[in-house]
Amino acid sequence: MKNQNSKRGALSRRGFLQGIGAGAGAAGVLTPAALAKLRPAAPESGSAAAREIELHVNGRARRVQVEPRVTLLDALRQRLRIRGPKRVCDRGECGACTVLFDGRPVYACMVLAVDAAGHRIETVESLGTPRRLSRLQREFVRHDAQQCGFCTPGFVTAATALLRRNPQPGEAEIREALSGNLCRCGTYPKLFAAVKAASKGGRQQRAASAGGRGGRR
Amino acid sequence: MAKKNVRAKGGIILPAEQPAAAGELRPVAWERRVVDTATVEVAVPEGEPPLWDVETRPQVVGKPLARLDGPVKVSGRADYTYDQHPPGLLYGKIVRSAYPHAKITRLELERARAMPGVRAVIRLDAADLQHSSAAAAAAEPGTPAAVQPRQAGGQSRNPIFAGDEIAAVAAESEEQAEDAARAVVVEYDPLPFVADIESARAPDAPRVHAGQPNVRELPAAHGEDGDRGDVHAGLLAAEARVEGEYRTPVALHNALETHGVVARWEARDKLTVWAATQGIFGVRGDLAQFFHLPPHRVRVITDYLGGGFGSKFGAGMAGIVAAWLAREAQAPVKLMYSRKEENLATGNRPSSQQQVRLGAKKDGTLTAIEVISYGTPGIGHGAGVGGAARRIYACANVRQQEHDVATNLGPAAAFRAPGWPQGSFALESALDELADKLEMDPLELRRKNYREKPFKALRRQYEIGAERIGWERRAHWQRGTGPVRRGLGMATACWPTFGGPPATARVTVQPDGTVTLTVGSQDLGGGTRMIAAQVTAEEFGLTPYQVRVELGDTRWELYGPASGGSVTVTSIAPAIRAAAWKAKNQWLEALAPGLGTTPDKLRLAGGMLHGAGAPLPFARACARLRQATISAQADRAPNYQRSLTEMYGAQFAEVEVDAETGRIRVLKIVAVHDCGRTMNRLLAESQVNGGVIMGLSYALYEERVVDRPTGRVMNTDLDFYKLAGTREIPEIEAILLDAIDPRGNNVNAKGLGEPPIVPTAAAIANAASHALGLRLRELPMTPDRVLNALAARA
Ligand code: FES
Ligand code: FES
Repeated sequence: MKNQNSKRGALSRRGFLQGIGAGAGAAGVLTPAALAKLRPAAPESGSAAAREIELHVNGRARRVQVEPRVTLLDALRQRLRIRGPKRVCDRGECGACTVLFDGRPVYACMVLAVDAAGHRIETVESLGTPRRLSRLQREFVRHDAQQCGFCTPGFVTAATALLRRNPQPGEAEIREALSGNLCRCGTYPKLFAAVKAASKGGRQQRAASAGGRGGRR
Repeated sequence: MAKKNVRAKGGIILPAEQPAAAGELRPVAWERRVVDTATVEVAVPEGEPPLWDVETRPQVVGKPLARLDGPVKVSGRADYTYDQHPPGLLYGKIVRSAYPHAKITRLELERARAMPGVRAVIRLDAADLQHSSAAAAAAEPGTPAAVQPRQAGGQSRNPIFAGDEIAAVAAESEEQAEDAARAVVVEYDPLPFVADIESARAPDAPRVHAGQPNVRELPAAHGEDGDRGDVHAGLLAAEARVEGEYRTPVALHNALETHGVVARWEARDKLTVWAATQGIFGVRGDLAQFFHLPPHRVRVITDYLGGGFGSKFGAGMAGIVAAWLAREAQAPVKLMYSRKEENLATGNRPSSQQQVRLGAKKDGTLTAIEVISYGTPGIGHGAGVGGAARRIYACANVRQQEHDVATNLGPAAAFRAPGWPQGSFALESALDELADKLEMDPLELRRKNYREKPFKALRRQYEIGAERIGWERRAHWQRGTGPVRRGLGMATACWPTFGGPPATARVTVQPDGTVTLTVGSQDLGGGTRMIAAQVTAEEFGLTPYQVRVELGDTRWELYGPASGGSVTVTSIAPAIRAAAWKAKNQWLEALAPGLGTTPDKLRLAGGMLHGAGAPLPFARACARLRQATISAQADRAPNYQRSLTEMYGAQFAEVEVDAETGRIRVLKIVAVHDCGRTMNRLLAESQVNGGVIMGLSYALYEERVVDRPTGRVMNTDLDFYKLAGTREIPEIEAILLDAIDPRGNNVNAKGLGEPPIVPTAAAIANAASHALGLRLRELPMTPDRVLNALAARA
């Protein structure tokens, strides 16, 4: 699904390189005595060619200074102060950092910022505001499809992409499309219900039965 | 305190219509049925609002209303600790031990100090952290204390687990901090260590904590909720006996927001921190102590928390190191742990190996329960197996002997219902084995033995759960003959009610009609904000969306307990109701004369003031008081009667096991629970779903894997540490009964966070064992274990 994040992308990640370089990722391979002799590898030069790039985020062109090793996620969060996408695993395992990349959902932690230059990036912030929520976001609220809420931006973003692609997904498709996202609070049943309710079929069903449960408005 | 005796009715409120299954949008019927009532006398302290009992029908409390902060969360605007970014922010990074046990022969910081962007480098080894109370007493306010910051154990500052803290750095960018952390030179002399229970229990095993044995027997509990009678006599008197060993893994919390703190010094003796914590006051206390500050000079803020599940109490290393670095660098520092650090150093659910013996009469009456357990909390403590064996079933002879076995691994921490899911898995599995031996229906065996207490809903919960899962099918069960077999299983939930004082709330009514509720709690995701708003709104006849809620900040000096052990609502909601009731009465008194009436004639409902001519909108009524702001504060009264029943529940599972691949698929779980008065049905269902899913994940997937030769954790990420995801979620029916005991508190709350995770693994194990016709005695029930069990039988 998130085909942006190929295995090659993963290998080029700085976290992975560091793990190897410092010996921290080499558990079980070296004997303790050999490990004891390891010095920290010479750091990748911190100042290596920070360069200015232009990111197109939520309809605006933003210029940022980044080193080549900086991920799109860190560029968004730390340089542009866009805080919707969260960093949870930082290696493409949880979906909390999901953004739309030319309309496709990708893990922002698995894309280098320099590679995102010139592409259209949408984060959860662009999908609605607390006062003007999207239909999907309203259904999230109505169904209580968030508990602590830390995974929620990622789920909202991934589900938005799904509904744009397929306005009437079945439950199996919903599960499949969201399978790259994790929620530790266990909100899944309500997430599925919210997406279903925001889909074309769900809307019609709701109009017919006039009002469900727990609506705020 | 003066008390007034009041007669009130306790009982059980059944939902008249079974709730809709997940995903269905059926409206919930509000007609409910009250059963099993009894009248009791309650001594209510002076100053408490009118008692609620089983007949009370609140207008706002109990309704399935969407949470107040939903819009902020779904639009990505909720600010977590992780999102704080004060100006001039630096990034912190901890250097951790590569060895499970070692002597540090060289620690060299100079190269790191000279790196670009580096603003502070500190040592976290023995040299800086030796204990000295004399030095502490003489210390300047704001200077770091010479105390041992590690939460548990660890007398030696030699690293005693792979991941132990050695040094820390702060730099202008996160990348620079990472570079600097790698430039810290550490040389080690590796020392012998133990990385599993067996080696740690060996007579000549290396000691984890110098001078202390690795195995420690936990203090026993006695009395009706503890050890009682004589298990040997009970086993002798038994007509059927079973015995078995059950094992559970070390599980990792993996809250999505990692541990972390953003710290900023406002002055030499004044500190503000944003903390990812379940207890703002605990963090404040720890930091005040460590930095020699009076508590009021430390402010702790937690607006939103991305989960904690028991692992986030106290400042912890993250809090202390962040504040320390900020002090050194004279700039704010953010220290958020990586996933790997989270899974190495911030807590876990300890493992267990439990030897269980049960005895019973032919009719199923239990005569003996014995549990002997060993579990490893790493370098921490608390590997007991909870109260399932002692508290759920009536049995005259019970003994539970628990042992912590220290190993050179990260410390355990409380994890949703600490100990109970482990104990429940062993006990409830053994009960099913006993039922097989007695040729008795497993549910019947539980019905025969559960403890009856006043206003306990368990009998009803068994009934409803059995009906909803279709338990009667089990009598003439078709397992299936092909590779895919089906099974049904169940287990009982229980958790003691802990909430109580101290907790304080304040309600303020302003002339523009704003009602503000302030409370010293924090919202972990359970919906504390919303429930606080509902309780306030109830007294004022408003909607919860008209109430402003302030929480997660120590600056108001309104104490609230740490959120753990299912205490939050039980502790704070009664204080909130008392404060709201007081504020409303004061407001009515202030208003009445101007309206030419007396307060007792006035009534608030539906956003209107009634009783003085035409109904007056609430905000217009507030405006009549011009500048006057009405404010009232109230404390949580002690529970009206000391002993309260626990929360109970029953869970039923239907599973499918593929005997060729060994894969277990859970098809459906019915979870019937009780939290006293359900404050918000929608949120309560979310809590139950969350507990069930976490329990399912524990049952089938989660296990920390340690490489024994190196003592390292092999799966610190979310790929190799598998959590249940969208594909593994079964149909879940969450059903709440309200077991109302008016002798508790003024909102009849009991708590709900823990019970739903307690029986899930046991219910799934029982269902899977039923499907296969053999017993699975080890969690997680991964395909290899299932296939091995099948092979062992063949
Ligand atoms: S943070 Fe990017 S997938 Fe987890
Ligand atoms: S709501 Fe907490 S992780 Fe999903």
